[in-house]
Amino acid sequence: MKLGRVIGRVTLNQVVRELEGARWLIVSPFTRDHYQRGTETPEGMTREPSLVVYDNIGGAVGQTIGYVEGREAAMPFDSPTPVDAIDVALVDEVVYKP
Amino acid sequence: MLLCRVQGNVVATHKHASLTGWRLAVCQPIDAAGAPDGTPQVAVDPLGANIGERVIISSDGLATRKLVGDKKSPARWILIGIIDEIEATA
Repeated sequence: MKLGRVIGRVTLNQVVRELEGARWLIVSPFTRDHYQRGTETPEGMTREPSLVVYDNIGGAVGQTIGYVEGREAAMPFDSPTPVDAIDVALVDEVVYKP
Repeated sequence: MLLCRVQGNVVATHKHASLTGWRLAVCQPIDAAGAPDGTPQVAVDPLGANIGERVIISSDGLATRKLVGDKKSPARWILIGIIDEIEATA
């Protein structure tokens, strides 16, 4: 799982049947120089490429989320689903002491 | 598997049900000399590694699903060992 800041949302007009009704978030991943400490989500974006994640837990713009990339992202679905990034945690606080 | 240093942990009330009760450790990948390399990764930690300890994390999702006891868990990274000593040449 990685952490990032939700910077936007996506809605789809046409979509494959498995993903009808899904919610999508645009996420800017944190880097080690731009990481959350405590409960405040750091402002702005990082140089890491932003990505789109499937959202099933209700993430909102400006929040910090934890997301999983890779094959594991499709595990919660009953049937094969073309998803490779999923939001798994709405982060309240990060203890970060590098 | 990645060599990492534990740098903290994540608190999240609202999360996938399979992650309830597990410590989520912030793990910074490091090289053999201990210098940070890349972005931090959050791993399920069944061992209770302290901040500053060096560990190994694995991306074996199957092992993580077995650990949390949920075949449909999206969890991927798992902390599999705490390091005593590294012998590195070159």
